[in-house]
Amino acid sequence: MGLGFLVPAFLAGLAAIAIPLLMHLRDRNEETPTRFPSLMFLVRLPIRTSDRRKVTDWPLLLLRALAVAILVLAFSRPFFGRDAAAAGEGRVRTMVVMLDRSMSMGYAGTWAAARDSVRALLDGLATDDQVALVLFDEEATLAQNWTADRAAVRAIVDATEPAARATGFGAALRVARSALVAAPPGAPEIVLVTDLQRSGLTGVAGLAMPAGLPIRVVSVAPPARANTAVSSVDARRVADGSRVQLHVQARVTTRELPAPRSVRLALALAGREVGTRTVTLPADGELNVVFDPVTAPAGAISGRVTVDSDALPGDDRLEFALPADDALTVVLVVPDDLNRDETLYFERALAIGRAPAVRIERRRTGAVDAATLARAGIVFHWDVAPASGAAGAGLDTWVQGGGGLVVLAGPRLGARRVSALAATAGVNGQADRSAAGGATVGEVRMEHPLFTPFRAAPAALSAPRFLRYPRLEPLVGSEVLARFDDGSPAILERTAGEGRVLVLAPGLDVREGDFPLQPAFLPFLRRVALYAAGHEAAPLWRSTGESWMPRGVRRAPVIQAPDGTLLRPEATEFAVALTLEQVGVYAAYEGRVDGSPRDRIAVNVGAAESDLTPADPSELLLGVAETADSTLRGLAPPTSVEIESRQLAWRILLLVGLLLLLAESVIASRGWRGRARRATVVGPAATPKESQG
Amino acid sequence: MTATPAKETFLDPALLARISDLPLIARMVVDGFMHGLHRSVKKGLSLDFAEHRQYQPGDDLRRIDWKAYARTDRFYIKEYEADTNAGVLFALDVTGSMDYASAAVNKFTYAKILVAALAWLTQRQGDRVGIATFGDDLVDMVPPSTRHLQLLLSVLGRAVAKGEGALPLAIDRVADVATRPGIVILVSDFYGEPEAIGRSVNTLRARGHDVLVFHLLDPAEESFPFEAATVFEDGESGLRMPLRPEEVKERYQRMFRAHRADLEGRFAAAGVEYVALRTDQPLDHALYAYLDHRLSRSRVR
Repeated sequence: MGLGFLVPAFLAGLAAIAIPLLMHLRDRNEETPTRFPSLMFLVRLPIRTSDRRKVTDWPLLLLRALAVAILVLAFSRPFFGRDAAAAGEGRVRTMVVMLDRSMSMGYAGTWAAARDSVRALLDGLATDDQVALVLFDEEATLAQNWTADRAAVRAIVDATEPAARATGFGAALRVARSALVAAPPGAPEIVLVTDLQRSGLTGVAGLAMPAGLPIRVVSVAPPARANTAVSSVDARRVADGSRVQLHVQARVTTRELPAPRSVRLALALAGREVGTRTVTLPADGELNVVFDPVTAPAGAISGRVTVDSDALPGDDRLEFALPADDALTVVLVVPDDLNRDETLYFERALAIGRAPAVRIERRRTGAVDAATLARAGIVFHWDVAPASGAAGAGLDTWVQGGGGLVVLAGPRLGARRVSALAATAGVNGQADRSAAGGATVGEVRMEHPLFTPFRAAPAALSAPRFLRYPRLEPLVGSEVLARFDDGSPAILERTAGEGRVLVLAPGLDVREGDFPLQPAFLPFLRRVALYAAGHEAAPLWRSTGESWMPRGVRRAPVIQAPDGTLLRPEATEFAVALTLEQVGVYAAYEGRVDGSPRDRIAVNVGAAESDLTPADPSELLLGVAETADSTLRGLAPPTSVEIESRQLAWRILLLVGLLLLLAESVIASRGWRGRARRATVVGPAATPKESQG
Repeated sequence: MTATPAKETFLDPALLARISDLPLIARMVVDGFMHGLHRSVKKGLSLDFAEHRQYQPGDDLRRIDWKAYARTDRFYIKEYEADTNAGVLFALDVTGSMDYASAAVNKFTYAKILVAALAWLTQRQGDRVGIATFGDDLVDMVPPSTRHLQLLLSVLGRAVAKGEGALPLAIDRVADVATRPGIVILVSDFYGEPEAIGRSVNTLRARGHDVLVFHLLDPAEESFPFEAATVFEDGESGLRMPLRPEEVKERYQRMFRAHRADLEGRFAAAGVEYVALRTDQPLDHALYAYLDHRLSRSRVR
């Protein structure tokens, strides 16, 4: 331990010790001497100067000198710090222990090894070392802030079990970095106790960590990593005559099995096993297992595929949920003079899609009856204007309630003047660009959801050539989403209540251009159908950590978690969003948990978590940048200010100094000292005035 | 003369020191004192010419000797001898050592009251009064005259005690300017070599003066009551000297007593009456001493 001073310049004030000495020798009366009529007798006395300067009151002198010295030391802000030699080894350690609690840590023996490793780390800490505990999977939490209480950390570790979550080292390192920013001064260190799955490295690249920060990896990866996992499931309804059957197939992945393994897979719907398959899995590979079709239950379906348990049971099952009926019905209203095969490309393109499947019902010109509208996802008018007035009231009401109306303006509508096509656009003749080789779509509002598939490849939409197209004129309330290269509107949209109205000018038949032959045709049509219908494809499951916006729930949402917990997320004006934390099936209700849920979603751990392949510890920090301007004060030796601020010795010294001065005042004014002092007051203080009188 | 002292509170120096009007003080002292004496002073003027002296503001213009003016072009006053009146010159020490007080009354204040009272008393007796103040040399000089009381009081009022003094030299200077023999009342604390002071007083005596010495003392000058170590400063020279009083007290007292005894012996040898006055003593003592001295001198010039 060495003594240091924050403001050593103040030590010059130690010279002030001479002040009480001088004051003492001259008895403080140097400045106000005692006048006496004449010293003619005194100067004759044989008095030696040394006698006059002799210290006669040592206790008072020492008291004053001590008070001055202590005050000077106090203002010099002293601190006791380790000396330079001890700064390295003997320095307080500030260790962030990052414990991986992802699903893969549940592999046989891994978690126990991890706990033992953490305990060993804690046992290796000195008494005054500080430790913080970060538990992480794909997310990270600071489970224990800085403490020297190792028992508290140990208790948290003992109470922690692997979670059904994937691994993400990036989030964990960020939390550890934040913890170190607030760490007490010391030698910082990050110790990562993990099986170091390579899949967890995603998100680490680009992370900036302070230069020189030691990051140590304690790998508890199992030496044998044989694992079998249900990695995906495909389930869909297939109409078979009047029946609807459910076709389910599962993909099983094996890694590093010592030998091919014979396993039994089971399919359960709504908790009841409906099919099994016994297969022999390869030692390292994948196998698609197709279950026998079963009669699809009415309504939404939730199911589970399981495989015989192994060393990592967390990935031996996979949950899925199928919406009640995900088929999208497109009511195609065609003109009476529809040419043969005019809608061929259109219908074939829509029929290809699945999830949702698209079912087309064709109608001739005229009002669409209410029963048809009830089934319809969208009503598509092929070059024919929707009915207006009373005849179209039903359609308007349906659109207002959330239906989707799409009107394709083709040569028939272009041949005549239409003032208000679906209250969205007027049609003012037709443009014939065949002489110029056709027109292209030149201006697209790519940020619109309708063009989501083309954001990565916007050129796909400008490739098609359109020989003829009607000239549309947007009406009040409608938006132009795309224009031809001559500026004429190509796609218009109008919002009507909760529904949408789209008017398309690009021809969807080969007679009007080559759009049906272009790659953009199929995704464009599918996107138009889904967007107009307000239909978003529902995945069979989502991964933990993702957000879910249940459909059909607008007010007072109640979400039942897989473990039965009821969650009440805040409903915004637009949607309800929930982070999926648990493996299983979430069910969304409105108001209260009653009857069939409005929506449901299955949640599984990401498939990558089943890949136990470890990374080399050096790979962990390959993409990590080092920041020179470290904000971690622990990386640098603690500054004098930090050391002094923790000790605050100056306050104690200041208090002691003041007490000494108080004692000096009391001592100097009591007893013989006080009497002597009062006696010296005698003098001609008032004499000048008197003498003037 | 039968003098019956009366105990008068008017003569308490501490009380008088609070009054700034010096003539009033002098009158109070003398009236109070005389009220107890029941004695009338002799009055009368002689027509015998005694001497010329220089004109002083306040002198009666009728007494200017115009013939002398015609001869010398200077104003001279003709003075005449009286049978019973004498010229009394107060020689007052105004050095810094006089400016000291350990009690209620400053030594110099006491001296001024004393001189004023004696002058008033002298005036009432018909004597001529004058004053000479001195430090290391003469500061003010008012020759004795029957009309110089107010001038004397004025000089006295503005006198300030300061600076160093050379008492023997100053006494010699008084002797030089007091050419006409009379009474010289020396008021001082007499910080100086007794031998030199004795020589100077002898000079005065040799020139025909009756000399009365008032030695003013502060109680602290006798007792040296200090206890704590301190720095003492000389009232005249400003010399500073750190001292522990308990170490020097006895020796100082011895030396001071020896000094007084030496002075007293030398004054007695010279036929000079010596009166020691402490500032905590009433003024009666001084007035009695003065009157005794005045009456004991049968020959009055």
